[in-house]
Amino acid sequence: MQGGIFEERERWSGAVLLSAGLHGLLAISIFVVAWLGTPRGDTWGGTSTGEAVNASLVSAVPLPAPQQPTDNILANTSKGLTETQPQTAVQPPDAIPIPDRQAKRKPDRAAVTNANVSPPVAPPKDNVVPYGQGGPVSGPFGSFTTANAKGGFNFQGGDFGSRFAWYVQLVNRTVSSHWYRTEVDPSVTSVRRVYIVFDIMRDGTPANIRMSQPSGIPSLDQSAIRALQRIDTFGPLPEGYSGSKVSVEFWFDYQR
Amino acid sequence: MNYRKQTWRFVLITLLLAMAVAGCKKKVEPPPPPPPPPAKAATATISVSPSSIQPGQSATLTWSTENAKTVTVQGVTVAASGTQTVSPTQSTDYQVAAQGDPGTPEATNTARLTVTAPPPPPPPPPPPHQPSDDEIFSQGVHDIHFDYDKYDVRADDQASLTQTAQTISQHPNWVVLIEGNCDERGSTEYNIGLGGNRSTSARDFLVKAGVNPNQLKTHSNGKEKPVCNEGNEDCWQRNRNDHFSLQH
Amino acid sequence: MLKTSRPIVALSILLALGGLQAAAQDWIRTGTNRGAPIRLAVPDFKPSTGDPQTAPLNAVFNLTLWNDLDNSGVFEMVSKSFYPLQIPGAPGELKLDAWGTPPPDAAMLAFGNLGVANGKLTVLGWLFDAKNASTPQILGKQYSEDATPDNARLIAHRFADEIIFRLGGGIPGIAETKIYFISSRSGHKEVWGMDYDGAGQKQISHLNSIALSPRVSPDNSRVAFSAVTRDSWQIMMYSVDLGRLVSFPFLGGDNFSPAWSSDGTKFSFSSTMREGDPEIYMTDASGNGVKRLTTHKGTDSSPVFNPRTNGQIAWVSGRTGLPQIYIMDADGSNVQQITDQGYAVSPSWSPNGMLLAFAWFRKYGPGAPGAQDIYIMDIASRQFVQLTHGAGRNDFPSWSPDGRHLVFQSNRAGTEQIWSMLADGTHQQQITRDGKNSMPNWGFK
Repeated sequence: MQGGIFEERERWSGAVLLSAGLHGLLAISIFVVAWLGTPRGDTWGGTSTGEAVNASLVSAVPLPAPQQPTDNILANTSKGLTETQPQTAVQPPDAIPIPDRQAKRKPDRAAVTNANVSPPVAPPKDNVVPYGQGGPVSGPFGSFTTANAKGGFNFQGGDFGSRFAWYVQLVNRTVSSHWYRTEVDPSVTSVRRVYIVFDIMRDGTPANIRMSQPSGIPSLDQSAIRALQRIDTFGPLPEGYSGSKVSVEFWFDYQR
Repeated sequence: MNYRKQTWRFVLITLLLAMAVAGCKKKVEPPPPPPPPPAKAATATISVSPSSIQPGQSATLTWSTENAKTVTVQGVTVAASGTQTVSPTQSTDYQVAAQGDPGTPEATNTARLTVTAPPPPPPPPPPPHQPSDDEIFSQGVHDIHFDYDKYDVRADDQASLTQTAQTISQHPNWVVLIEGNCDERGSTEYNIGLGGNRSTSARDFLVKAGVNPNQLKTHSNGKEKPVCNEGNEDCWQRNRNDHFSLQH
Repeated sequence: MLKTSRPIVALSILLALGGLQAAAQDWIRTGTNRGAPIRLAVPDFKPSTGDPQTAPLNAVFNLTLWNDLDNSGVFEMVSKSFYPLQIPGAPGELKLDAWGTPPPDAAMLAFGNLGVANGKLTVLGWLFDAKNASTPQILGKQYSEDATPDNARLIAHRFADEIIFRLGGGIPGIAETKIYFISSRSGHKEVWGMDYDGAGQKQISHLNSIALSPRVSPDNSRVAFSAVTRDSWQIMMYSVDLGRLVSFPFLGGDNFSPAWSSDGTKFSFSSTMREGDPEIYMTDASGNGVKRLTTHKGTDSSPVFNPRTNGQIAWVSGRTGLPQIYIMDADGSNVQQITDQGYAVSPSWSPNGMLLAFAWFRKYGPGAPGAQDIYIMDIASRQFVQLTHGAGRNDFPSWSPDGRHLVFQSNRAGTEQIWSMLADGTHQQQITRDGKNSMPNWGFK
């Protein structure tokens, strides 16, 4: 048994030659491509300065360099609704008071079912202000976006949203942070919307939570209501607001 | 005349008889009157017993004399012989003087009574064959150790604890403190409880072995009083113990 | 389900796992009161007078204000290197668009001025919505105290708490809260107290014995702790108002690890008074009306009330061997086991009643990997998350009143010291340095 290994001999000379040949071919092709690909004559980047910022050493106090707008920057200088002109056309129907929502609902539903066909992350058709870009919410809406949902608020205090945008955002943040998306039935994949109405009292506690328009999916409805019920307080209403409470209509879009 | 002669004869015989009888009685010859004695000298002896006392003790003087007409001891006239109890504070010579017939020399005798300082106290007894309580304790009572997070007495400690029980039972005046300890791992609060359980389980074992529970006190140190600080199993095992100590 | 083909089964398992992960993040986010952080810019306050005391107090104020807001768990602080050159001291000097646009791109701005005049320190502070040019003001506050560094810190704490209260959803800030702990730096383990950020550490008990387990009462008026007296452990009560020990009944056996209910009416602790085996007992706040709650053999210690309802108590029991965490109703019934492996001790219940924080050595025994770390568990779903990761031995977590922070002890720096962190495990920082410090307890408010 001991000499057994050495007695076996495989014929591998042919394989070695093939392997060496392929390796050599590879090396040669690398050299060729490198040589051909080297730019001749011009400096890197060509003669244009492209989109890069020229940084130069200054002896004075360094001011932030003016930044060229590029698509790579996540935060843009959008001031919200004031820039998204095309969307204002859609706004008036949303401002219709609650009793008329039956009329409003149908076009929304149609829009929603259309969105189903297109890629799921379609840009919202209504005047949703993407979260984080703030600005005075000149319409009545504040909104939020999480991984699976978009939602919006309609503060029915007239100019509440524009005067107390920070409070709207606060309600925004609080509701989204108290919402357990895992409470929704995992089999739900399509977009659904539920409308909930509640009051915020002077001391910030939510009250009178009621569903004004169910989505048709009980687990989604329940998760939205529970999100509100979990909240002890939003913080007292702003001092500049004279009312004893403010009513909020809260819509909630879910998609997986 | 015959009559008178008869009476005379009678009386004479009677007298003679009487004289004879009287004379018989008195026939003991009266000793010759002593010759006038020669002039004798007195003798005296005195002794004291014991001859050496310590201050505060007393001794007895004894003297006797012969042929003494007057006897004095230390100038005080006393009987010819006698005894007296004396307790001087210093060494004293007691002299007896006896005077015999006048003209004879006086006889004296002296006894010395020595009063000495108290004898030195006897040398202290040699180091005890009789061991002290602490020594008995450290020989008969040993700490016991525990497994991790356990407070029951280990099988290999039972012999030691039995000996401890016997030792304590032999000294009903002892009060023994049992302190339960834990190693440094683990929570401070939980270890107070574990140390308490360790000391209690040792106490229960001792009480079952016959020790009076009033002699035992339990306390927990948790992990606050380690005997060593290295972070290895050997040190940890040493720290998981019940420590016994004699309360004075 | 078993009959479906493999890819679908795998997919649903993946989805289920993803769901669990999402669920864990959900309750952490909710249970620890964390929402999405707000970008906040806080330039240094402008000195308003030329008094020589203004500059040093201003420095103390600015540093304290920045740390309070940075540590709050609510904000993402905009780095000072992005700020415009012109620092506003009052609304009239403010160019709001310079702050709400990049490079600072702040959502909120806090600014103001500070000055000393006639020995009085006056601070005016504003909180503005940096993106709302028409009605930016959210807060405008004025503070005035005697001019000392302690008061500069105090005003900074107050202003920070106002901002946190307004923007953090109505939960009061913790900048003025206190932490009580045990320190051995005097030669004996004694009770000490300090501000929540480690400032102002001072000794409270002077027993020259061993003191452990300080627990402050809900109204911050008394600190209960256990200490060795002669030959037994007893519960001691220190009055913060009077500055000395006040009486508390001397109970039989050893008594340790005290706890308060959040309404201040009930008191719980572990005692060997009856059996020699430590059990959980409950009394009223004066130590009367002793009631026994547990009866099992094995050490029972470290009780803590559910601060939201006071109807439940969590505690540590060694009834099955190594210590584990249990929950029961406050009358001793309905016992539930929470952990079932390793070595779990030192429970602390979050203010909203949803979460338990505790120290856990999960894989226990010689040669087991890992170490003793701080975990939080959602009581309803029994899901848990590990907050510290194998750095030293970590123990004694204690929740802050806002439910966003935890303070704990760790020996990762060489000796036992007190550390704090946000309740999701981020922002871990050391807050004591002298001597050996342990067993921290965060005040209720």
